[in-house]
Amino acid sequence: MRNKPRIVAALILLLSLHAAILLAKFVTPYDPAVQNRDFPFAPPTRIHFVDSRGHVHLRPFVYQWKARPDTFNEYDEARDKSYPVRFFIQGPEHKLAGLLRSHVHLFGVEDPAQIFLAGTDAYGRDQFSRILYGGQVSLAAGLLATVISLFLGLVVGCISGFYGRWIDDSAMRLVELFLVLPWLYFLLAVRSFLPLHISPTQTFFLLVTVIGTIGWARPARLVRGIVLSAKSRNYVIASRGFGASDYYMLRRHVLPHTYGILLTQAALLVPQYVVAEVTLSFLGLGLSEPAPSWGNLLANLQQYNVLVSYWWMFAPALALVIVSLGYLQMANAVQELQSGSI
Amino acid sequence: MKTEEAAQRARTPAHIRAVGLSKSYVQRAPFSHKKFAIDALLDVQLEVSPATLTALVGESGSGKSTLARCLAMLEKPDCGEIWFEGKEISRSGSWELAWLRPKIQMIHQDSAGALNPRFTAAQVIAEPLEIQRRESGPKLRSRVCELMEEVGLPANWADRRPLELSGGQRQRLAIARAIALKPAFLILDESLSGLDLSTQAQILNLLLDLQKAHSLTYLLISHDLSLVEQVADFVAVMHQGRMVEHGAGQDIFGSPRHAHTRELLGSVRLVESAFRAAQAGGQQ
Amino acid sequence: MNYLERRVIHGVLLLAGVSVLCFAFGVMAPGDFFDEMKLNPQISPATVAALRSQYGIDQPLPLRYGRWVESVLRGEWGYSFAYNCPVRSLLMVRAGNTLLLTTLATLLAWLIALPLGVWTANRRGRWDDRLGLAGTTLLLSVPELVIALVLLYLAVRTHALPAGGMVSVGFGGLGKQAQLIDLASHLVIPAATLVLASLPLLVRHIRASVLEVLQAPFVQAARAHGIGGARLLFRYVLPAAANPLSSLLGLSIGGLLSGSLLVEVITGWPGMGPLLLEASLARDVHVVIGAVMASTFFMIAGSMVADVLLVVLDPRVRLGST
Repeated sequence: MRNKPRIVAALILLLSLHAAILLAKFVTPYDPAVQNRDFPFAPPTRIHFVDSRGHVHLRPFVYQWKARPDTFNEYDEARDKSYPVRFFIQGPEHKLAGLLRSHVHLFGVEDPAQIFLAGTDAYGRDQFSRILYGGQVSLAAGLLATVISLFLGLVVGCISGFYGRWIDDSAMRLVELFLVLPWLYFLLAVRSFLPLHISPTQTFFLLVTVIGTIGWARPARLVRGIVLSAKSRNYVIASRGFGASDYYMLRRHVLPHTYGILLTQAALLVPQYVVAEVTLSFLGLGLSEPAPSWGNLLANLQQYNVLVSYWWMFAPALALVIVSLGYLQMANAVQELQSGSI
Repeated sequence: MKTEEAAQRARTPAHIRAVGLSKSYVQRAPFSHKKFAIDALLDVQLEVSPATLTALVGESGSGKSTLARCLAMLEKPDCGEIWFEGKEISRSGSWELAWLRPKIQMIHQDSAGALNPRFTAAQVIAEPLEIQRRESGPKLRSRVCELMEEVGLPANWADRRPLELSGGQRQRLAIARAIALKPAFLILDESLSGLDLSTQAQILNLLLDLQKAHSLTYLLISHDLSLVEQVADFVAVMHQGRMVEHGAGQDIFGSPRHAHTRELLGSVRLVESAFRAAQAGGQQ
Repeated sequence: MNYLERRVIHGVLLLAGVSVLCFAFGVMAPGDFFDEMKLNPQISPATVAALRSQYGIDQPLPLRYGRWVESVLRGEWGYSFAYNCPVRSLLMVRAGNTLLLTTLATLLAWLIALPLGVWTANRRGRWDDRLGLAGTTLLLSVPELVIALVLLYLAVRTHALPAGGMVSVGFGGLGKQAQLIDLASHLVIPAATLVLASLPLLVRHIRASVLEVLQAPFVQAARAHGIGGARLLFRYVLPAAANPLSSLLGLSIGGLLSGSLLVEVITGWPGMGPLLLEASLARDVHVVIGAVMASTFFMIAGSMVADVLLVVLDPRVRLGST
């Protein structure tokens, strides 16, 4: 295939990003909720290889931030002592994958210095850690909502395509209805009907359900088209001639044709739904502080002074763009593979 | 087939019989909600005696395939009766169908479309056995091998997919699948069309051998009147949804009574003679 | 019944469906506008109950839906609990602002995307096509939210453009021309965001459909006859590509509407977005439903405009009574 290197690159990018987010407890140096009141809005820590005397070090090192006297949120590097960046360093205890007790973090620096790869927020919380932890929420929301949409789409599409008649007619009217809805308006409307003040876990699942339920129409229509063309094939008719049940015919002969479409749709829907979750949280209708999600991390930028003064608060946007880019490349690849195989 | 023999067969009770079968399709005109009906079958009578080969001929759109699908119970006729082995089956519920389905099988014209391209040859043949839960495990495998042998496919081809096979081999595969459930009545829907002449002859021989071995009843739907003349014990002619003529092969080919049959035969003879003339001309 | 009438009836039915859907979701959800009042110790439960019955919230769904339909027919579009006035008066101004923004953005996006798409299709496989493809891929991965924030950041840092709102303070005191300039400068960021966000998909689809037509036998034949350049493009290629593109127009309007909600909130453009967000947070049900209905109406109207355009552009589409 022509685009093979590009697809491999996208795949590696996606896999490593997901791995980093999944293993956030190990990859991040700090707990996302720990506040450093001395360092509000500290810029990203600079990584040095050359010290003040002009010596080159193979192991990178950092200086500690020191607030400039008589200012708020302005920092200088304290150049009197350097702290080398250490890998597999002992840090706060965490449970990896909920099981493995461990003190080891991928990287870090020794106390009292701190390393903020993406700066800190108003409470001095490490943004890099918050981005990875927030990614768990945003990505899980996107993936779960995608599963819901595809499941609903598959069920409705199969039934409607396979049984036809009035079931098909009414299902397709419903599909039209959902397709004509401007999704964000409807999402906001539905969200507004749900209680505002509930626990984060409840909010998360409500959000996922709502996002996933709204997007079922397009996969349903695509699946229906495929089922429709598959069920008129002679081998499906032959199968009926052997006394096959509807379930058997769907499972053995019809469903395998839908996998390609489902895969493409999944690759397209995941980034869309991640953005949907981010948007809702950004607007204050999703997960709220202190639980980190990319949406409420970005919501900091709604404050004028944050937007103007602290460019590193854009870092979550970068993560969002990388996820979208990776998934869209995957969607392209799957589509190309399919059109090639037919 | 000798005339007395055929006449004797005609006297024995019919294996499958259609009485007054009618079927119409409702079509929706494009871009509008107006509906109109197309009569595919109009008061069709058909009788097929056990262990004979009846050919169903007629031009395309004459209702042959609809009749076949009704007899195979893939579609329900609007009215009329279908009798099979002494029972009326056109209004069977799912319970009776489970018993009936294996006995009546159909082999389609387009063998590539009738076989799931994702299945292997073994999976194709095993499918009806799995659906009917006849065999499983090693028994299933040996039965599949048996069937492949019976239709002349090497057993070591079990893992090939339909698209890796030639047209004739695919048709053999379809035949193996159809006889897997030991049916009594086989509908061959243009099963021999689209094959080259020598393959056609081979498949035909295979079908006739199988008929002898299992005393099968065949209903052959075909365009090819010269083929029909060769093999059919009985011939039924359809025209615009009606059964216009039905009788022993020699009678129909020897002295066609209905105008349409004459027309049908005439056109074939015309083409044949033209073809021979052309061949003769080419050889000179 | 002719084609246009059928489309209008279809559209009205769709709108009715959307309203039913909204009500269904609204009623399935627990809680309502007056729940917050219950927490307030200064308001007695009896008052809340009285308010609830006054606004008809204690009634079953079909009755509430009936009352809402009645008020729609009266032209009120329901009643806002928070603003204490009919929804229509709230919505009209806001919907107008949203329409101004999205229409402008749609026009601009198509004006830019059409030549870009045609150009890259004509230059298939060359460096500029590849550049365009890479650009659209990258832009496609940047959500509107991020585009809006970045543009806002740039505007604020350079002080070149106003950072939010629709007009400056003291707008009323300006002359006609100055007013127009002021409005235009406020439009730049939200409109640019929407254009940038919808551009990549538009360019891609236009490129794909033009490419398909370029490879069609009749275009090859026209080329062989020596027809080329603008004549080939305008008489042969574009009319043939019009069919898929007109449905794309309908889709792009939908995308722009959803995108505009977010952009309006971020840049403070007083359209339906901020109104809907406020109403959502306050659980002002009728305003929410009104905003959803208005946006759906715009979408249906947009795709109808696209269809009418198609009829004008593509002679193959017949408007018979069949």
